[in-house]
Amino acid sequence: MTTYIVKRILLMIPTLFLIILVVFGLLQIAPGKPTPSQASASGAENTQSMEGRESHRIFKEQFGLDKPIFLNFRYGLDADDIREDIEVLADYARPICPEDATQVAHCMPADQRPTSATVIAAQDRIEDLSFYITPALYQIAQTAERDDVRATAIIHLTVNGQYKLRNEFSANQSAEDEAYNKSVYQKNRDIRSWTVAPDASAAEIDAILAEKWTPWMQDETNTARFDYTFNEKFWITVTDTRFAKYMGNILRLDFGISSADKQPILPTVWEKVKVSAILGFFSIFFAYLISVPLGVWSAYRQGTKADEAVTIGLFLLYSLPSFFTAVLVLKWLTVGQPFEWFPTGGFMSSGAEHMTTLERATNIAYHMVLPVFCLTYGALASLSRYARAGLLDVIRADYIRTARAKGLSESMVVIKHAVRNGMIPILTLLGTLLPAIIGGSVVLEFVFNLPGLGLYMLDSIFVRDYNAIMAITLVSAVLTLIGILLSDLSYAIVDPRISFD
Amino acid sequence: MSENTHSAPAPRPDYKSYGEIVWGQFKKYPMSRYSLWAIGLMFLVATYAPIIAMNVPFIISVPQGVGPAGAQGMQFPWFGVLFDSNFYESGVDIFFNVLMFGFPLLLLGLFGLTKFGNFEDKVALRRARMRYLAGSSLVLLIVCIFVFLSNFSIPYVDYEQLAGLDGVFSIFPPIPYAYREPDIQAAQQGMSWLHFLGTDRAGRDVFTRLLFGTRISLTIGVVAVAIYVSIGVVLGSIAGYFGGKVDAFILRMIEVMLCFPTFFLILTVRGFIDDPSIFHIMLIIGLTGWTTVARLVRGEFLRLKNQEFVQAALAMGLSQSRIIFRHILPNALGPVLVSATFGVAGAILIEASLSFLGLGPPTAPSWGQILTTGRETGQWPLIIAPGIAIFITVSLLNLVGEGVRDATDPKMRK
Repeated sequence: MTTYIVKRILLMIPTLFLIILVVFGLLQIAPGKPTPSQASASGAENTQSMEGRESHRIFKEQFGLDKPIFLNFRYGLDADDIREDIEVLADYARPICPEDATQVAHCMPADQRPTSATVIAAQDRIEDLSFYITPALYQIAQTAERDDVRATAIIHLTVNGQYKLRNEFSANQSAEDEAYNKSVYQKNRDIRSWTVAPDASAAEIDAILAEKWTPWMQDETNTARFDYTFNEKFWITVTDTRFAKYMGNILRLDFGISSADKQPILPTVWEKVKVSAILGFFSIFFAYLISVPLGVWSAYRQGTKADEAVTIGLFLLYSLPSFFTAVLVLKWLTVGQPFEWFPTGGFMSSGAEHMTTLERATNIAYHMVLPVFCLTYGALASLSRYARAGLLDVIRADYIRTARAKGLSESMVVIKHAVRNGMIPILTLLGTLLPAIIGGSVVLEFVFNLPGLGLYMLDSIFVRDYNAIMAITLVSAVLTLIGILLSDLSYAIVDPRISFD
Repeated sequence: MSENTHSAPAPRPDYKSYGEIVWGQFKKYPMSRYSLWAIGLMFLVATYAPIIAMNVPFIISVPQGVGPAGAQGMQFPWFGVLFDSNFYESGVDIFFNVLMFGFPLLLLGLFGLTKFGNFEDKVALRRARMRYLAGSSLVLLIVCIFVFLSNFSIPYVDYEQLAGLDGVFSIFPPIPYAYREPDIQAAQQGMSWLHFLGTDRAGRDVFTRLLFGTRISLTIGVVAVAIYVSIGVVLGSIAGYFGGKVDAFILRMIEVMLCFPTFFLILTVRGFIDDPSIFHIMLIIGLTGWTTVARLVRGEFLRLKNQEFVQAALAMGLSQSRIIFRHILPNALGPVLVSATFGVAGAILIEASLSFLGLGPPTAPSWGQILTTGRETGQWPLIIAPGIAIFITVSLLNLVGEGVRDATDPKMRK
């Protein structure tokens, strides 16, 4: 048995990995990312404002948007790969030729000036490539033919060449990290000051290269930093990517920050899951509790009027949409309506925090009656039909006749012999019932205003909180996976014909 | 093949096609048969809804010296408005409006083919009928797309005001409202002879919206299921026929898809679309629902691919696509048909739920949207009427589905 459970759980791991992959993929195509044109809202003007660029770059770094999606081969980039982008940026920095034919040195004819879209794209690429292109930029600064290209390369070196901070965006930095970061700040400040003007002369550029950059690049720590061993290359390829970062976060149960209330998502989701779990658990519990006897009873009286009535009734229940029933009971049976039997919605009364546990449980149960009823009847209808069919399958089997022939009482025959075997198939239905219950609860949580997972999902969709949406999707998928596992295990326990090894 | 086999064609044996067998069996279940007729009636009502409810007259005759200049004389504005892209902005409506004229023509052609066509035997007739149906549906679809893309529109005239003038003769449809025509002064009325089911918050006639909502529901059900059946059949046949790594890959895909609660997945994808149209909703339901069909088709393929008739087809040197699509697939379609029939009901429910949650197409007269308006304003007709409409449609479709399930099951044959 233990072997079976372990094997079953191990088989879940690749599925879980694929689920995370799907969720990650959906998150990548989700709209609402800060695209370059959005980040610098007013277009080309802003690309030259250093503050605007810097905050956009830091934002991308914080959320890992500067990294490649799946595989990182950036260690292999050299000067030729980025030369074009640097040239575009250099062209953009040149003054525009005036229309009245006055001569301006190094001017750019207005019609040859790169469009703002190309410039923004080039700038983003150079920024995203981060410190990986430091040697390439240094090479361009040394060898390029145009002076303005060399100057642009040096300007970008002062950003891309900076050292990385440790745990920069984490809330709990250790003292060691802080000390390290302090020294890095010092070094980065130096690097930032080794810059030149975009229209610097060749002599100025040569001077700053010879004085600062060449010694810095030839420093032992730096040569080691940009000379990757095979292991390092492999490690960078696989781990310095968006997916690896996302995966790491998920494994540490960090679903990111909600864009609606700027709080971590996990505690919120956990709170909502509790409400949905209570709703789902009781619905499934009552559905099984009622459907099995009902199905058995109607199968035992197969062909009679009572059986037909139950079958038709269940069929109609099955076709009755739960949101319709929910609105009906809400408009009939709740406070302020013709029959004031139940509260209008919510998970518990507003003063419930101060009640004793028993009182609170009663209060919650009182609030849950209508939602559980609406969620139960649909599942009940389909389960009863399966229960009926399951019993009909076995009731004419030889071993039932044998049991009767042995002189067992009729109730003994039905309950001990027929039901135990006939009900095994409806246990497997738990695996398919669970997603339906989780999905169906969305509408009921909406109608009865229950603060569950479904309502949270809806609110997140309305405010376009994609982190929350994907976290909820992931959690619901994992819950379903666990449900399927439980149903398989219960099947294995109940049916002795299934071997565990 | 050599010529001598074709020189004197032997008379074909008069066999029954699979469709005819299933149809013959299906006819033996009265409840399912009546339900199918009822669904057909709903389709007819949906198609001819503009005859019942529209705020434009069939005929209007304005005498000289009355009304604005240029409006005089006899006009038939109803026909023009049917294809007006401002009046009917949605492609679904344009489709049904074209179908309104195409459907009788199609039936007429079918009747003529059966009555006056000259065919050797039943098989040839059947084949000609299939060809005719496929061809004319294609023509119909092309006409719809053409009308939709041509963006035809006519200038707006307030016919109700014009008809109220002295000496003007006009014939309006029995319910002179359009489902998109707001009338703020008549907002939130109760049931009356003017508005059978009252009006909603914008003063639109609820009965008219319910009527045109039939179009939306039926279209969403059929198109969404058509999308996922196509995806499921293709993936399922590939997995089942080729097996091996392809099969393992597709199975893994199905397994992962099954872990997401369908409605949550639909909500997630819906969250990515800012302003969904009806077609987006169809596409979402279609793209998330194919797993069941794929599994069914795969299972059938695994069962069928080693049977003698497939071996025979292989031995005859037929191409793989011919074996898959002409020999195995028709035999694997029974369970798909059952699943598709229940699927239409499911898709209608999903669309109604989405609209109920306020996530459906914002301007479409969907049943779920009427229901949620009723929930907010507390008007009983707005809750009961769409609720019962959904309930009846879903029940009828489920009844048809039960009939199809029993009819395709060889064990249940009567």
